[in-house]
Amino acid sequence: MVSPFRQKIRLALKNATLQIALDNNAERRNTARRTVYKSLPADLQTMRRQAHAVRKDVIEHLDHYLAAFIENAQRNGWIVHRASTAQQAVDTILEIAQSHQAQRIAKSKSMVSEEIELNSALEKAGIEVVETDLGEYIVQLRREHPAHIITPAVHLTRQQVGELFHEKFGIPLTEDVPIMTETARQVLRQIFLTADIGLSGVNFGVAENGIICIVTNEGNGRMVTTLPAVHIALMGIERIVPTLDDLALMLYLLPRSATGQKLSVYTSLIRSPSQEGDGCRERHLVLLDNGRSALRGSPLEEALYCIRCGACFNACPVFRELGGHSYVGTSGRHTPYGGPIGSVISAALFGYEEFGHLARASSLCGACREACPVDIDLPKLLLRVRAGNTPVPKRQPPPKANAPTPLKWGLYFFSYIATRPALFHLAQRLAGIGGWIVSPSKKWLRLPSFSGWGASKDFPRPANKPFREVWREIQDLPPAQMQLAIPGSAPRSSPQLTKAPQPQDLAEWFEKELLALGGQFLPCTSTDLAQKVLAFLKENHIAAIQTWSEEVLPEGLLAFLEQNGIQIALQSNPDLRAGLTGAECAIAESATLVIPSNSRRPLTASLLPEIHLAILNKSAILPRLPEALQRQEKLKAPFTVLISGPSRTADIEMTLTIGVHGPKRVIVFCIIDA
Amino acid sequence: MPETVQLFVTCIIDTLYPEIGKAVVQVLRRVGKKVEFPPDQTCCGQPAFNAGLRNQARPIAIHTIQTFEKTHGDIVIPSGSCASMIRHHYPELFENDPVWEERAQAFAGRVYEFSEYLVDRLGIEDVGARFPHKITYHSSCHLLRELGVDRQPRTLLTQVREAEFVELPYTADCCGFGGVFSVEHPEISAAMLERKINCIEESGAPYVVTCDAGCMTNINGGLLRHGKTQRALHIAEILAGIEVP
Repeated sequence: MVSPFRQKIRLALKNATLQIALDNNAERRNTARRTVYKSLPADLQTMRRQAHAVRKDVIEHLDHYLAAFIENAQRNGWIVHRASTAQQAVDTILEIAQSHQAQRIAKSKSMVSEEIELNSALEKAGIEVVETDLGEYIVQLRREHPAHIITPAVHLTRQQVGELFHEKFGIPLTEDVPIMTETARQVLRQIFLTADIGLSGVNFGVAENGIICIVTNEGNGRMVTTLPAVHIALMGIERIVPTLDDLALMLYLLPRSATGQKLSVYTSLIRSPSQEGDGCRERHLVLLDNGRSALRGSPLEEALYCIRCGACFNACPVFRELGGHSYVGTSGRHTPYGGPIGSVISAALFGYEEFGHLARASSLCGACREACPVDIDLPKLLLRVRAGNTPVPKRQPPPKANAPTPLKWGLYFFSYIATRPALFHLAQRLAGIGGWIVSPSKKWLRLPSFSGWGASKDFPRPANKPFREVWREIQDLPPAQMQLAIPGSAPRSSPQLTKAPQPQDLAEWFEKELLALGGQFLPCTSTDLAQKVLAFLKENHIAAIQTWSEEVLPEGLLAFLEQNGIQIALQSNPDLRAGLTGAECAIAESATLVIPSNSRRPLTASLLPEIHLAILNKSAILPRLPEALQRQEKLKAPFTVLISGPSRTADIEMTLTIGVHGPKRVIVFCIIDA
Repeated sequence: MPETVQLFVTCIIDTLYPEIGKAVVQVLRRVGKKVEFPPDQTCCGQPAFNAGLRNQARPIAIHTIQTFEKTHGDIVIPSGSCASMIRHHYPELFENDPVWEERAQAFAGRVYEFSEYLVDRLGIEDVGARFPHKITYHSSCHLLRELGVDRQPRTLLTQVREAEFVELPYTADCCGFGGVFSVEHPEISAAMLERKINCIEESGAPYVVTCDAGCMTNINGGLLRHGKTQRALHIAEILAGIEVP
């Protein structure tokens, strides 16, 4: 009987399209990751070790940090729910949905929701649930599971997506990724505008101030946490960082490891429900345990350090052959977490009997650990799973090592002889004789396929004389006879890694990074700002814009625009093509605008229109992320978004496409006064 | 009297490739070492450990520790994977063991992988070898990522006379061996090996050098099955100056 896992392996290896897609994924992600690490403000290994230490501290003192986080979040106005099991989390979300008579839920990416199988539960309750991440949306339309935690539709080609969109939306068959993306933008825009509830995952919860952080590239994460009246955030209890500085450290590593970006396009810092202006009026936080507490203090505790960047998937040579859909249980059950970390987590959270065998599908090459931004020793954890060192439910015997029976007996035998040198030698001699009988002329043997080895490789014939016998012949040769005079030389020193010096002019640095992201940078002065904004609007035939209120924009700007025929609106309106905002500050290293919200600074102005115009004072440009996080903290805005360039996706065939849900263009008017 | 060094030849080389063991001895003698071979040695226990069978791995590890405790001096192992087993996994195997944890650590402190021993321990980069062929280098996973040894074999190989060193594309990608993995998941292992073989062909070198007889067996097994002419060699063979056809 071939196990479901092996069946999946064989299917995946035979699937030429999948193999090309997985190669593409690995090549691009691994190259991008290595390249972008060079832009870190400090040595990568130092930062990895720091990040590891932060995660270790959090998991070791999780009760403390979780209590602080919950207290602060509640003070901020979050309604916090604890769920110890998947079922409890589902029930909680259903209750919230039913209390609002919700018909439609718009969802951004959440692996925890996959873990608790939320979508099917909501659908059973008669609630429409729509995935809004482009890749997730595609797999949902195909009634599939995501094939990768970062790139859900990694297994599909543009032709397959083209056919899907043709069938579902009646658009002409196309292989043009921007056309498909635009179609999804239009379809999903209606979902965002009409959903009763927005549901999101959480990347990090910050204990010291009770905010949650969500990173997305398309803008769907912002949409579902801004437009519907009610927001539900679903979070695993382990995803806490103690402080904003720790968050900055994680944000240096997460997007770089996940997608090769310095910062994701949208980093949302959500503090509280909005009392006025736009933004959700009610925010729920569902904290899921589902076996995580049992992992603490267990041999697999380190698996809880994971920040779900997916780098280990991309680095893993086995994932590269299999793809995410192949990681199934002994009964064929799907797990949302595949790849190296998933092979540990699935066994630890969802059952050793069902998923323990996944850890055996690894050559233990260590590429996963090398790629892990928080330095999780994945080979060690995979080995522990193999040995049955997993958390044990109460009153159950610990699991035994899960080696297949023939291998187990083989190794019992080997272990017996390997502790008895004379017997070991005898076995070597017998192997040598056996090899010679089987293959007297050839030095390499064809073993039968059932041996595993013989299916694809030859095996060397054991030596007639093992080394221990050869040794007896050569041991008495005096060293001098074989010795040559070799000049010793000192080991070479390895080259020092030099960091690119930080550019002196922050505006120039910001501009360079913004252009690289596909944004536009227009320098101006306080006197010609209004003229330049107007010129831009006229050039682009824009007659009406959504803006912030005039008190929070440069004096006289809105009045000037109105005098020149531009209609000004504070409220969002799907027909408006451009939004004009200020920025609290900016980060040069990643060309990031830091934009807080309140009643005078609507969130939607930088989100719904196709074109986002931002006014930035040169003096507000900070070099790096940690300073910016500290500065925005002083405002205590209900929602702060960090925007790095135009909305983007690479969900179809890893093709970078601009403008999924958020603005397609970002234009920064930078006031540089002498 | 030259300083004595203990050779832990590994079960694979002992059983399958005695000529590699001989090459290791030649090189060590050439750099002035007196080589000893404790005859009770067998295997480090890695196969059982990697299979998850720690109760079977432990007695083999204890046997190995006891065998070498009777000897003095550094211990050289011509395999990154076995050296890493002792350095990194013995402590895990004997964690909190009142007797063996300390003894395993003392043992691990004496262990060096062959190229690491030559370059880092002895400060030798040129062993006077000659090999008039184009060569490339496969970075074995445990050597590279668990022991952090990469510069050392490359340094030794670039000093080999008349050898033209070319880089192997994706040298750090696993060849698909992984010990028990290669027999438990032969299909995946074969697919990984195919990539490695393609890279070896792309490099243009007829010889690919490794520091691990496991990888070497895997790569040669695939090369032969596919009818390829390239061959994998153990670094000791190059450094000892073997003749190849």
